[in-house]
Order: sequence, then structure tokens, then C-alpha cells
Amino acid sequence: MQRTRPAALGAVALSLGIVLAGCGSGSSSGSGDTNTITVAYQRTAQFTQLDSVLKKAASEYEAANPGKKVKLTAIEAEQDQYFTKLALMNRSPSTAPDVIYEDSFQVRSDAAAGYLAPIDEQLAGWSDWSQFDDVAKQAGLGDDKKTYGVSMGTDTRALFYNKDIFAKAGLPTDWKPKTWDDVLSAARTIKQKAPGVTPINVYAGKAAGEATSMQGFEMLLYGTDSTLYDDSTQKWVTGSPGFKDSLSFYQTIFGEKLAPALDVALDATVGSRVATEMLPRGELAIALDGSWLPGQWIEGDNAWKGWEDTIGFAPMPTQNGQAPGSVSMSGGWLLSVGANAKDKNAAFDFIKVALNRDNSLKYDTENSQIAVRKDVASDEKYLSYNPSFEFFSSLVPTTHFRPATPDYSQISGNIQVAAESVATGSSTPDEAAKAYDEGLVGIVGQDKVQGG
Amino acid sequence: MGIFLVGPIGYALYGSLTNAALSGYRAVAPEFVGFDNYTQLFTSSQFWESVWLTLVFVVGSALIGQNVLGMALALLVRNGPKRLGPVVSSLVVTAWVLPEIVAAFTLYAFFATDGTLNEMLGWVGLDGPTWLITVPLLTVVLANVWRGTAFSMMVYSAALAEVPPDLTEAAEIDGAGWWQRFIRITLPMVRRAIATNMMLTTLQTLGVFTLIWVMTGGGPGTQSSTLPILAFQQAFKFAQVGYGTAIATVTLLVGALFAVVYVKVLKPEVDS
Amino acid sequence: MTTPTTTPTPSAALPVPPTATRPPRRPRLSPAAPARTKGPRLAAGLALVLVGLAFLVPLAWILLSSVNPAATVSTSWPGEPTLENYREVLTPELTFRPLLNSLVVSGATAVIVVVVATLSAYPLSRYRMRFNRAFLHTILFGSCLPITAVMVPVYALFVTLGLLDSVPGTVLFLSATALPMAVWMTKNFMDSVPVSLEEAAWVDGASSMQALWRVVVPLMRPGMAVVFIFVFTQAWGNFFVPFVLLLDPAKQPAAVSIYTFFGTNGAVAYGQLAAFSVLYSLPVLVLYLVVQRLGGGSFALAGSVKG
Repeated sequence: MQRTRPAALGAVALSLGIVLAGCGSGSSSGSGDTNTITVAYQRTAQFTQLDSVLKKAASEYEAANPGKKVKLTAIEAEQDQYFTKLALMNRSPSTAPDVIYEDSFQVRSDAAAGYLAPIDEQLAGWSDWSQFDDVAKQAGLGDDKKTYGVSMGTDTRALFYNKDIFAKAGLPTDWKPKTWDDVLSAARTIKQKAPGVTPINVYAGKAAGEATSMQGFEMLLYGTDSTLYDDSTQKWVTGSPGFKDSLSFYQTIFGEKLAPALDVALDATVGSRVATEMLPRGELAIALDGSWLPGQWIEGDNAWKGWEDTIGFAPMPTQNGQAPGSVSMSGGWLLSVGANAKDKNAAFDFIKVALNRDNSLKYDTENSQIAVRKDVASDEKYLSYNPSFEFFSSLVPTTHFRPATPDYSQISGNIQVAAESVATGSSTPDEAAKAYDEGLVGIVGQDKVQGG
Repeated sequence: MGIFLVGPIGYALYGSLTNAALSGYRAVAPEFVGFDNYTQLFTSSQFWESVWLTLVFVVGSALIGQNVLGMALALLVRNGPKRLGPVVSSLVVTAWVLPEIVAAFTLYAFFATDGTLNEMLGWVGLDGPTWLITVPLLTVVLANVWRGTAFSMMVYSAALAEVPPDLTEAAEIDGAGWWQRFIRITLPMVRRAIATNMMLTTLQTLGVFTLIWVMTGGGPGTQSSTLPILAFQQAFKFAQVGYGTAIATVTLLVGALFAVVYVKVLKPEVDS
Repeated sequence: MTTPTTTPTPSAALPVPPTATRPPRRPRLSPAAPARTKGPRLAAGLALVLVGLAFLVPLAWILLSSVNPAATVSTSWPGEPTLENYREVLTPELTFRPLLNSLVVSGATAVIVVVVATLSAYPLSRYRMRFNRAFLHTILFGSCLPITAVMVPVYALFVTLGLLDSVPGTVLFLSATALPMAVWMTKNFMDSVPVSLEEAAWVDGASSMQALWRVVVPLMRPGMAVVFIFVFTQAWGNFFVPFVLLLDPAKQPAAVSIYTFFGTNGAVAYGQLAAFSVLYSLPVLVLYLVVQRLGGGSFALAGSVKG
């Protein structure tokens, strides 16, 4: 027996040693190879435009820089899952990518977390930077006023409506709702006159992630007299009437069955379904959604011939028609350099290629982004590509931006919880707002909130 | 090896005392916050709801569903028609051998609004509910019974095989009905197997994640967010790693408590 | 206790699982059974058919949808069965690479676990040492803990160790979680190997390790195969661990890559999802049949968890 134990233990240790020795060889996506630039970005079946522009940029960059390689790591996930995966990757230096496709609301948060590298020095030497408009430059700023990303384009949000269904329901095909009630009454008319059609979609589920916060809830809240975050006092707002009214809007559309069935509304794929199935097939009359939708109807797997004859656009009205009459939210995505990039200049050089005039033009047209480069925005090719550009660009003067604070991303999660709990009927707007307030204080602390 | 078993547990205890986050300032420099996470946890109604859901899920799908159905199947296969038994038990075991994610998708499709179950109810003129939305917890309980019964069935089959047949035969000659024979003779003979199996299924069910994650995502709202789902969402969706870790630690303690009880129950017999 | 003794197995304590060295025979039905009235038997048959259907219908969905070009979530008899879905998914990126990743992860995990479990189970099975009982309880305890519950701290631990997105790291973690149960099963198999054979080897001057290697292992091969397959199947089907620990799509096993069929297609490609599911499930189903061949593997498993 005395002979056995050391022997057995020795063998165990030995086998472990062999295995552990193998660990060192495990290369990871954030490889220590200075000649390889890893790019993490999102790709889905309906979102392939970024994939195609990055592939083009990668081959151009490799051709211009012999010996350098670009490794594209496409994360196949819907937005919410994408953020999770990205956060998981960024957490560890060994897996952190060199170039990151970042949503503008994540920039401050990730910069604060030390995941992103400031690029002011590199920008100073890039002649194209002067082409970017001020809003785009703002989008990349961190809390420390350094720049952490280059904007790829921006977007606005509004109401899409199906003119054929409107005509069938006896509603005007040049619809111009002035208040929330106008929107609701149109939806009610459709429910009566066009059975089998879902009257309206406003994102409401946790699974839809930021779409619920931004295309849904915030498009309502910013049209009330309340706000989410007071820029002047730098405090978050609790208990505001606008917050509860926005939740009441959800209660109305889900309670009266004007919205999609819950199994659709709460599914992670609801965004894809609205864009690729429900609107094109005439199953949905009104959609509160983003300016990028027509991009996939113009060409690609989800091309929809004649979409511009069927779909009309209307600005989202404010709650009671108060000034300025309509509301929009703007976000947009950036390319950032990872804080753990071995060769930050090379990573930035890749971004320069990916967002030069040609590639920005390609991306902004195909993904129907509102261009942020002045030379692209005035380019005839861009202007004539997509008939909806004019409308969505016209919303820029009345648009709002999400609170640019590091904790927004966590608070956004709580907004989604509130919206979903009201949509499912498990909470009243008051209860959901109260739960949101409690969560908010838990995240930012009592000293960072103020009553609404 | 030990590091991978003990490490996470130690890490769980420590991590749950910090306010670590996935992003923002607290990702770089998490602070030690003592028992703040736990105070927040124990005062959060969502946590208690989740504890309750976990309890219902475990009792419903493991203690009642898998154990009763597993025992019934074991008995039926032993005493039912000769050829049918093996076929049915193969089907049951197949459901258990399938990769968990495949089983989850299969059941998602089965219970979906336009899924097979509602279609079948339609044949007999019933209008099935939106299972995953109206009764999410019941749906995942049923799904977990489908997925896990094989384990109990196998344990009980093996246990029943150890019961000496002459005992039941003697009882039969004395005129005892099959139910009496089962209650008076078979059950006492296999009670250890039952205790063991209940414990194992309880602990396995406590950790079920994939099935619920795929089928309902813990929703609608939080109506099917058991503790593992809650921990995952808090840590990775809301980026509150410290808080999520605290939930994980509580789950672990609940599991440990069960295991200790289990070891205590079996101890006298192990010592024999 | 320093002299090796055979482990007594009081009927109430650790029942020896029927192992391959002693294939379990279904105990013959008592002679009285067939003579019983037809009623209960018919009822039992009906109940079996019902339960069987409840299990069959969801399984049928996978098979039928996989050959149905227009598959939905409901089960329907395909108008024209076609292998189109299989053709669609049989690409390196969609199927071959994820399956290869699964094979590497599960295979490595199973090999490590079987080796370590055999070495750990030997002293447990052969020597009634003082630490034995405590150790057994710890192992039992370890095999019970719901490992999914600790995935969040495991993730944090892997970040600290720099093992995130590392296949060997994931293998080690899977091995660690599968080990307690495997030790338990292996020990039970070992208990059924008579110690007298080893004693003969010791008389010939063999060390314990040699005795284990030359005498016990050959007799235990079927049992070890059962443990191997058990661990392999567990790792093959595990979704949550690689989902959290492996981030690079190129390294992800089939369990995680299947998610992309679901989450990223506006219109979920159910037919392809089902076809992929069939391909992904086949290996473990085949392995399960192998276990059956090895002699009532399911009963062996059941026996080995009887405490």
C-alpha cells in the first residue's frame, strides 16, 4: 500500500504534466503574433454587409502591407449575444481582439474597463479624419475625452408602415401621425379592418437586447417631457411620469393585442423576422424600426423588389405632439483598437483602410447607414442608391443620443426587463418603473440619481 | 485536477464579495464589497422568485416527474408485454443520450405555438395554449421529465432486478394484489435506490441550464428563470459578475446542503 | 488496515453492478407471471405504448424534418423526402469543423478521465484505508454538485489563468467535472475483479502498479470502455461549458455551433437544424449501442450510482 500511493499519485501528476504542457500551445484569437491583426465583428444571416466590406478591406490591407495578415473573427450572433461574447473575449488579454466592432453606447463603458486603446495620436496623422462630422467624432469619445473609435456611420429611427394594408383599412397612405394616440388609433383600425395582420411592432423583449431599449422604449421616452439621464446634473432620473407613460404604451399595444404574439415578440430573432418576413410578406402594418432596414431590401439574400412602393415612412411623433413634434434616436457603430493589441499602429492602419472613402461608401450604401464622412454624404452614388436616405437624414436635427456614460449598458438591460415585464402583463407600468428605479440605484448608487 | 474543482468554488466565494463587472470601471478595478451582493440578493424579490421557481422545477421534474415515471417504466418493462418493453425503453434512453442542445431544440419545436403538440391537440379539436409563454415553467418541467427519465428508469430497473422473485411469489400465493405486493415488498427492498436516485436527480436538475436557456431564455419576463439562468443573465447580460457569482455560490450551497443530507442518510449503511 | 482485503459487499451496502465480466441476464419472470389474467398485462401494454409515443413524437420531428425541404416546428410527413438539407449542412464550416472540434474535446476528456479514474480508483477499491471513507464521500459529493452553477466563477477563474478560449483548458475543466462520477463507476467495476488474482501477481514480485496494469486492467476493459463512453457522451453533449469558455468560432464544438442555425437566421432553417442534429447525435447513439453490446451498460451505469 505504501508503495502504491506515491506511484499512483506520481502517475497522475505525470499525466497532468503532459496535459498542462499541451496548454501552452493553445493559440488564441488574440494571438501574440504581431503580424496578425484579429478583427472581431458581428455577422448574421441578414447582416452580411459588414462581413463583405471587412473582407474587401482585409485583402486591400494585406496587399499593401506584405507580411501582415488580417484574421477576421466573425461572431455569429444576434446583437445581445454579440455583446456578451465580445465582453467575454475582451475580459482576457489572451483572447482580446486587436480591432473591435463596437456599438457607440459600449464605447465609454469598454474604454473605462480598459478594453480599448485611445487613438488620438494616430488620428492626428490621418488626413481623412477631417472628413468626419462632429457628431461622429463625439461618438468615439471616452469619459477622459480621448477618442476610442472611428465611426462607420450613424442611423435614425422612425415608423415604417405598409401602404397596401393602410389602403385596405381605409387609412391615408401618406400617414403623418401627430401624437401617440394617432399611432394607436391607426393600429386599432388595422386590427378591425385587416384581420390576420399584426398592427404594430415595438420591440419589447430582453432577447431583442438593445433594440428594445433604443428602437422601442427610448423612442417613446424621448418623446415625452421626461428623460433618462440629466446631462446638466449628470444624474439618472427616477420615477419620471414619462417613464411610466412609455411603459403604459407597451401595456396598451400588448394588452389590446395590437403587437405581435408574445412568442414572436420575446424571441431573439424578432428583429430579423420583422425585416425579412413580417414586413415583406405584409404580415405587419406598422414597425418602429431603424434606418438600416431598406439596405437589405435593395440587394442580397433578402432583396425585396418593389419595397419602395409598399413601405411608407413617418417620423415618430412626440407623446402629445409637443415641440419639436417628432423624435428619433441615433446610434451607430465604430471600429476601435483593442487595448491589448500588440501593434496598435497596424491595427489602426487596418481601420484606416476599412473606413477610407471607398469602403465607407460601400458600407454606408449597402447597410443603409447615414454617412458620417462629408465626402461620402455628398457623393452622388450614395445619394442615389437608396430612396429612403433623404427621409432618414431629415430626422437628424431632432434626434437624440443615448446617455454617454459607462454604466448605460447595464441600465439598458434594466430597461429591457421593465419593457418585457409590462408586455407580458406580469407587472403594471408602476411596478415595472419601481423595479427599474431599484435596479438603477443598485448600479449607479443613490448619489447619482434624482427624482423625475 | 483539484484546481479545476476547488478553484472555481474558492473563486466563487471570493468573487461574490466583490462588485466585479464585465465592462465599465469596475471591470478594471473591482472593489471588495463584503456581503453587499448577498444583502442585495436576499432583499431582491427576483431572487426569491427564482428560488421558488427552482424549487418547483426540481420537485416537479425530478422528484415527482422523473422518479415516478422512471419507476413506472421500470415496472412496466419488467412485467409488460415482452417485445414492447425494450422498444419503449430504447426510446426513453435515446432522449437521454441525445446531446442536450439537440434535445432542447427538439422540445422547443414540440412545444412551439405552431409546434407538433398543438397540431396534435388540433386534431381532437382542442386549441392548445402558447406553451412557452403562458405556462413556461410547466413546459420546461415536462421537457426535463422527457429528457431525464431514462436515468431513473435505469437505476430502478437495476434495483428491481435485485429483488428476489420468491418473495413476491410468496406474497402472491398469499393472495396479495399487485399494488399491495409493490407497496409492501418491492418498495422497501429498493428504498435505498430510491433515496440515492432522488438525490442524484435533484442535484442534476438543480444545475439544468441549456434546456431552459434554449426553450424560454428564462422568460417570459422572469417566469422560468431558475437560479443557474439568473446567475448567467446577471453576470453576462447585465455584466454584474460579482452579483452573478453570488447567485452561483448560493446555488452551490443549496447543492452542497442536499449532498450532505444525502451522505448523512446513507452513512449508516456505508459503514456497515 | 494495512493488509489488502477484498471489499465485502453486504447486500445493503454497495451492490456490485453487473459488469461485462458478468453480463446481466434479465431475471426470468416468475412463473406465475404469464399465468396472470390478461387485464393488467393489457393495461401495462397500453401504458407503455402511450409513454413510448410521448417519447417518439418529438424524436420523430428531428428525423422527418431533416429530410423535409420545407420543415417547420410541427411534424409533417415530407411530401418528397430529399437529402437537400444534408447537402446544405455538409460543409466544412457548418459541420465538419465543429464535429472535429467536438471529437477532439470529448476524446481528450474521456482519455484523461479514464486514466486518472483508473489510477485513483485502484487504491480506493483495494485498500480499506482510513481516508477511504471520507474520500469516497467527497467523491460522491463532488459528483453531485451542479457544475453549471459555477460556470460564472469558472469563467472568471479562466480569465485569471489566461486559459480562456483554450481547448486544453476546456478539456481539463470538463475532465475535472466528469472525474468524480468516473472514479465512482470505475471503483465499482474494480470491486468486482477478484483480488486473489493480484495476490498471485504480488507473490511473483510484481509491484502494485504492475499488478494493476497486468491483471486488473485487462479484466476491466469492458468496464473502462463503459466509463470512457459515458464521459465521452457527456462531453460531446455539453453545451454550456464550451459556450462560455471557447470564444473563437473556429474552435467551437458542434454543441455551440448548432446555435448559429437558430439564432442568426431570420427564418430559422429548421430542416438544416434537424439535419445537423441528426449528424451530431449519431456518434453518441452509436456509442450507446456499443455500451449495450458491452453488456448492459445502462444497468452498469445504474448499478454504479447506487451509492
